[in-house]
Amino acid sequence: MFDQARLNRLKERFGASLLRADMPADKRLFLYVEPSALKDICRYIFIDMDARYVISIGVDDRPFSGSFMVVHNFAFDRDHLLCSVIVLIPPDDPRVDSITDVAPAANWAEREIRDMLGIEPVGHRYPKRLILPDGWPDGVYPLRKDISWDHVPEGFDGGREYLFDEPPEGCMVVPFGPFHPTLDEPSHFRLYVEGEMVRGCEYRGFMVHRGIEKLSETVMSYNDINIMAERICGICGCVHSVAYSQAVEAAAAIKIPQRAKYVRTIMLEIERHHSHLLWAGLACHIIGFDTMFMQSFRIREPIMHMAEKITGNRKTYGLCVIGGVRWDIPLELHGEIRQLLDRLEGEWNPVVSSLSKDRNIQKRTRGVGVADRNAVKNMGLVGPVARAAGIDIDCRRDHPYAAYDRVEFDVITEQGGDVWSRLLVRAREVFESIKIIRHCLEKMEPGPLQAEIKDELPVGRMGLSSVEAPRGESHHFVITGENNRPRRWRVRAPTYQNLQGVPLMIKDQQIADMTISLGSIDPCFSCTDRLETIDIKSGVTKIWSQEELQKLANRKKA
Amino acid sequence: MNDSVIITISIGLANIVMALLLAPFCQGVMRKVTAIIQSRKGPPLWQPYYDLLKLLGKEDIESGDSPVMQRAAVYMSLATVLTIACLIPMGLSAPMNSAGDVMLLIYLLTFSGICTLLGGLAAGSTYSLIGISRQMMIMIMLEPLFTVAIIVGAVHAQSFRLDTVLDGSVYMNRGFPWSGVIMLVIMLLSFQAFVERVPFDISEAETELMEGPLIEYSGPKLAVFKYASMVKLIIYSALLIDIFFPWHGGISMPLQWMLFWLKIFCLVLLAALVAATHARYRIDQAVRFFALLLAVGLAAVVLAGFGY
Amino acid sequence: MSVMSKIKETIICLKAGRVTMPYPAQPQPVPPAFRGRPIFDATKCIGCGGCASNCPAREILVLDLCQEIRIIKYLGRRCAYCGRCADVCPEKAITMSKEFENATNSIGDIGQRLELFMSTCQRCGRCFTEKTPLEQLKMKGYRFDDIQNDRWIFRSRGYLGDEPFTSDIKIEMD
Repeated sequence: MFDQARLNRLKERFGASLLRADMPADKRLFLYVEPSALKDICRYIFIDMDARYVISIGVDDRPFSGSFMVVHNFAFDRDHLLCSVIVLIPPDDPRVDSITDVAPAANWAEREIRDMLGIEPVGHRYPKRLILPDGWPDGVYPLRKDISWDHVPEGFDGGREYLFDEPPEGCMVVPFGPFHPTLDEPSHFRLYVEGEMVRGCEYRGFMVHRGIEKLSETVMSYNDINIMAERICGICGCVHSVAYSQAVEAAAAIKIPQRAKYVRTIMLEIERHHSHLLWAGLACHIIGFDTMFMQSFRIREPIMHMAEKITGNRKTYGLCVIGGVRWDIPLELHGEIRQLLDRLEGEWNPVVSSLSKDRNIQKRTRGVGVADRNAVKNMGLVGPVARAAGIDIDCRRDHPYAAYDRVEFDVITEQGGDVWSRLLVRAREVFESIKIIRHCLEKMEPGPLQAEIKDELPVGRMGLSSVEAPRGESHHFVITGENNRPRRWRVRAPTYQNLQGVPLMIKDQQIADMTISLGSIDPCFSCTDRLETIDIKSGVTKIWSQEELQKLANRKKA
Repeated sequence: MNDSVIITISIGLANIVMALLLAPFCQGVMRKVTAIIQSRKGPPLWQPYYDLLKLLGKEDIESGDSPVMQRAAVYMSLATVLTIACLIPMGLSAPMNSAGDVMLLIYLLTFSGICTLLGGLAAGSTYSLIGISRQMMIMIMLEPLFTVAIIVGAVHAQSFRLDTVLDGSVYMNRGFPWSGVIMLVIMLLSFQAFVERVPFDISEAETELMEGPLIEYSGPKLAVFKYASMVKLIIYSALLIDIFFPWHGGISMPLQWMLFWLKIFCLVLLAALVAATHARYRIDQAVRFFALLLAVGLAAVVLAGFGY
Repeated sequence: MSVMSKIKETIICLKAGRVTMPYPAQPQPVPPAFRGRPIFDATKCIGCGGCASNCPAREILVLDLCQEIRIIKYLGRRCAYCGRCADVCPEKAITMSKEFENATNSIGDIGQRLELFMSTCQRCGRCFTEKTPLEQLKMKGYRFDDIQNDRWIFRSRGYLGDEPFTSDIKIEMD
């Protein structure tokens, strides 16, 4: 088997540093290694074995194994394998070697581990605060087990400011955000501008943190987290709920019934439809073409009606429980779904064909926001951004889940790597989704919708799951725990990686192209900021009082 | 006062009053047409009137760098467009016909653009500065286009008088009006830029610049700027019709006037259709486009000089 | 050419016609499976507290006044309309209605309060068999959520007592 061959190669090379290797399922590998050899092993996996970097996770395992854990996840897409490299770190000296030299894509993940758990990544190129607000006191690490979920830290310093880098020579600073008409959620891009060209940018985000991961460890229970997970994002909620359920089901070795898998697949594809159509409209609105925005929303509306008919709500489907799904797609609805798909195809086809010949739009999107193959590999970009650069990755085919191993579909790639290619990839993926739903409707068999769970879930097991959200790969990591809730749950949304590639995309482009480049990765900031935020209202209300905000608005401030 | 004076004054006033009253209505028509193309109902036709009334009642915050220049920019902008409205025949002859010649008209048109620039400069925020730099680039390319059209007309008409030039003068040569037709095509292609609509509303791109030069204006000042831009729509349409589509030979008075306004509405419809179906261009693409048009326009002037 | 594609786009737009709904001038019907505001039927409720244990937003409070009287209060402020309470209820006393126009000035309009007379043995969660072990929150015993201040209390007690708990969740209302 492939895994065995890889494992043997690793064993040959690193021998004594590999402490333990778990292969709980076909395509999963958990490798415990010595902290001193971590960087070399990651370099071997990332560069020599050409894996894709997924995420790094920090876990406070002190109550259970007495140490911290740092987990680096990699994916071998060709071989359908997800692997984790785990190190245990002594609690009195929480430091780990940073792997950003090897994989620049680990930049944010390691900063997050530092902010949230206090594990210092030694050798990180850019160790600045990422998640915690500027005034948060040092030494208080929210995700540690000794901090309760409603802890309000003392010493919150409302006046402390984030130290931005110096702009390069001759550049003016143009602030983009936190409030801007194009952005749906607040985020701050500090653009360094020379005339009309952008020479660099710095990102400060995570302003809509909600404390989801901490809540899941302390007050929510397994089935409650499903409802919370689907509210991580307003567009790709179902993806997070399915990914979380799959991670727990993988950890606890629960097999869900086949019909439930088909229902999950159909709802995921319906979500992909509505998300891609929404993005097409949004991208056209950003370049000033409002008519296309209205039309794509018009074409999208029947999908929302259908979701409401099946699940009871247009967006928050409430679909998954651990072990299955809550709603069924009865036979009467099959006919309506088929009609909907035919109508969707009939309306979207002429739009795509007229868009693809439209030179007015091509002028604004060709050659803009380019992310080439190198950038995609180094920054770990996923989803349509990677497929538009010619890299053929798609979790539905590479790490099959739900019913995707039983349906046929093509993975759409383009070669340009610019915004135009991403538009074409997303527009064509709508047709592939239609195909998948049609296959599912044909192949669905009657059966139960939820698995029988007779015993409590085993404790301390790890589960990984990668689901293809409309924006890319959404990766969840769960360690099951006591009291009916997980010990650790890490959500890595696709935008988390894609945002790290934005500075590369907008460098040496014009300001006018900044918004469409950002919009082309289909950013979902709510998916990205999902940690932290204990109630800091006490600190913030003092600063941003009504009069002060008023005065701030009236004062001239760039 | 004898009757002819009263008639002259009322004719002159009718010109301006119609233009001022109908300016928001034309904007409303544009919004309605855009809404129909976007498969929705759209605001009522009188919505711009309500919008202006609402803005007049809002708080006037002076938050820019130099409030004095902000105020001056606002008043000058309104004054300029009102003056231009007095100079152009709109179905009836212009009331201030003898106040100047086409050169005055060209200067006033440029000046109305400069008022927006001053307004953005007075505000001093980053976005308004970027907005005015884009507006400057566009103005450098656009105003010559208009000047060239008028010069072609003046060359053919052998005079600079307002009522002669603004009366289909580009076609006034013997034989086929080559330069006239070339200028007509050029003007139609750049009409959207004159009236600041998509695809050329670059300086006020909402999604990129948050309103551009007008970002620091609120309440009555914003209402005046918005109103000035609505009147500009009418002014430029009227100019276009006067220079290129005058054709009123032989029709009696009230019908001739109504025909004029009918032509204005057709132009407004055309502008709305183009605005609804295009994406916004980037500044460098727009500048290259206009440079090309300018080159062709200069060739047309040369042709005009030779009598073609 | 670009003009042809623009004309084609315009024709697509005009063929579609006007698609906006006249809501709220006219009512908007919803499909049968729609999950609106949950309605609690006191005549069917047996007071098991399964809804309270499984509400992800912790918006259903339970208070035992004495051995015979249990109060179940649905607050509805942060209700996510997920329908877990309706799924879990063994007597089908909770229905997800079709009401979605729930905006109101006074939060009391949405809240529902049931006062239940309990016969002697139907008190603890043991009588209500959860479908899966995942649905247990191990809330057996007397429940003392703070109904006065709308506060959810994590632990239940095996006995009736006078002193309230002090350290628990404080849910703030605006």
